Parts: sequence; C-alpha cells; structure tokens
Amino acid sequence: MENDTGMRPACADGCGTLPECAPLAVPYVPFQQMNPKKYNQNDALNNGTLFPGLNLPFHLKENAPNAVKGPLGELRALEFVLLELGLYLDTHQGDSEAFALFQQYAALEKAGREKYESMYGPLTMAAAAGGKSFSCWIANPWPWDYTEGGEK
Amino acid sequence: MFVYEKKLQYPVKIKNTNPKLASVIISQYGGPDGEIGAAMRYLSHRFAMPYPELKAVLTDIGTEELGHMEMVGTIVHQLTRNLSEEQIRTAGFDTYFVDHTAGIYPQFASGYPWSAATMQSTGDIIADLSEDMAAEQKARLTYDNILRLSDDPDVNDVIRFLREREIVHFQRFGEALRLAKERMDQKNVYFVNPAFDASKG
Repeated sequence: MENDTGMRPACADGCGTLPECAPLAVPYVPFQQMNPKKYNQNDALNNGTLFPGLNLPFHLKENAPNAVKGPLGELRALEFVLLELGLYLDTHQGDSEAFALFQQYAALEKAGREKYESMYGPLTMAAAAGGKSFSCWIANPWPWDYTEGGEK
Repeated sequence: MFVYEKKLQYPVKIKNTNPKLASVIISQYGGPDGEIGAAMRYLSHRFAMPYPELKAVLTDIGTEELGHMEMVGTIVHQLTRNLSEEQIRTAGFDTYFVDHTAGIYPQFASGYPWSAATMQSTGDIIADLSEDMAAEQKARLTYDNILRLSDDPDVNDVIRFLREREIVHFQRFGEALRLAKERMDQKNVYFVNPAFDASKG
C-alpha cells in the first residue's frame, strides 16, 4: 500500500506528513510518521497515549496522575502499550520496528497476566479453569466495586 | 465475539460521593456524544467497510469504547454510593434519582434517553469515517466541559485519560480515511461508493 509516510524528510515528532498535491473536497489528517517517539509503559498509561506527539492535554490539568500502582496497574500499563501499538499498526502496517515492539510487549503482557491471575484470580471466564473452583470468577470485587484499599 | 476482561482499562477510584457531578457525567455514558454512542457507531460502521484496515480500526477502537463505557458507568456508580437523605435531594440529581435510584441508566445529562438518532450509519466510507472523526471531537469537547465543571481530582484523573483517547482515535480515523482514499478512484473519490458499487470499486 502506498502512502507518503516516511518518504520525505522527517517532520518534528508532533507533526505528520501530508500529500503535496491532493484531491479536493476530502478531509486530510496528517499521517503520523514511522518510528514516532514513545513513552515507557507507565508514562503511556498516565498520559493516555504511548506517543508524546499525540499528547495534547486540556489547560485544566490536574496533579500528575499515578495510575500504575500494584500488580494490576503494572499489567494495565503493558496492555495499554499493546493497544496503542495495535491502533498505530492498523494504519502503519509497514512499521516493522513497531511490530517488533508489539511482539515484545505481548510476551511481557502474557507473562504478567499469568503471574497476576495465579495470585489474584482470573481476568477472563476461561481463566477460572486455573482456580480451585468457579467461585474465583464470581468473587468480588468486580471492576466498578472500588473501596478504599480494595484493589490488588 | 467479545471476551470480557474483569478489570478497567484505567483505574477508577473515587473517594467522595457527589451526585451533582454524577448527573452531568452520565452524559458521557448515554448522552449524544457519549461512549455507548461511540461503540455502537464504530462497531456498526464496520459492516459496510470494504478495506481490511478500516475493519481493523473500527473494530479495535469500537472495542476500546466498550471499555470506556464501563469506566464512565463506574465513575457515576462511585459518585452515587452511600447517598444521604439530603444528597438525594441535590438539585439536578433528584430528577434522576426518582426514576433510577442509584442505578446506571444511559441518558443525556438533560434526562433524554440514549438514542440511535444521535448517530448515523450511511454505508458510505467517507461519510461514515467523517462522522467517526466528528464523534471523537464531540466526545473530546464534552470531556473538556466536564473538566470545567468538576473539581474532584479522582474524577478528573480519569476524565483526562478518556479525553486523550479521543485525540488518539481522531488521528487513527483520519489516517484510516487516507488509506481508504488511496484505494479509491484518484481522479474522483466520489465516482462510486466502493462499499456498495462493488464491481466498480
């Protein structure tokens, strides 16, 4: 598939590429360039994006978030990177470095998920098969049930 | 097929009850530009899309929106726990309470129930993706306005995250639209609708 990503001198990381001449009467969003800058997984989850170039906060910004707490937080951060890379790869199939990173994070996420589930219970119904009884799937807390100190 | 994950995408841990704030945030659950509408829109648009990248983007973003629906429902649930007699009389929340108690109902902040009339599914690539991009902008600005109305840092932390996701999704829909255009008639992308006029696409 032809697109103009990576075909010309790099723009700043927060900018993307546009065609030089393009048909009229259709919308254009600049393409994010190949191999964009990336946060580590904790900063990615805290900022709501893996990509500094796409991090465009509102002026009413609260104190620095710290979403990555405890084993579930660490797993969430890994899964968030996977999701962000996946959405990026949906429109950048040719970025082999991003796919290699996707594979690395997928391995980390798999290991992290197995460790988490062995200690705290299943995250999917199927994973309940690894518990002592099916009650481990049914048991509280469910994700909306936060009480002080309630989350692993 | 969808498989449920027993966790939120981003943690929601709200310490203080605030029914007034819940009564505006419910709009991002079932309001005109809320997460239910986003998920319904993208997951429905997939069926008419002829190109694989578009099916993938709409599936992956639509699925994430289901997770955001759960997060917004969680915010409203946690803001309305353990309500006092006085709190249920809070102006703006009392009208929700009378019908729904502390249940989660998909509605606009104004009380109007979630409606498929807030969205379209046209079966046209450019029209649908333009709507998807607009939907991300409308959700983004609703989160801006929630940040203006809320002074609870536990809530704002989550809203800020959800707002940033809208910006990333806008970018991906924009890129998806460009990928689609490259496959269409370069002299006139409106010459046919490749989602319908299959033999000419």
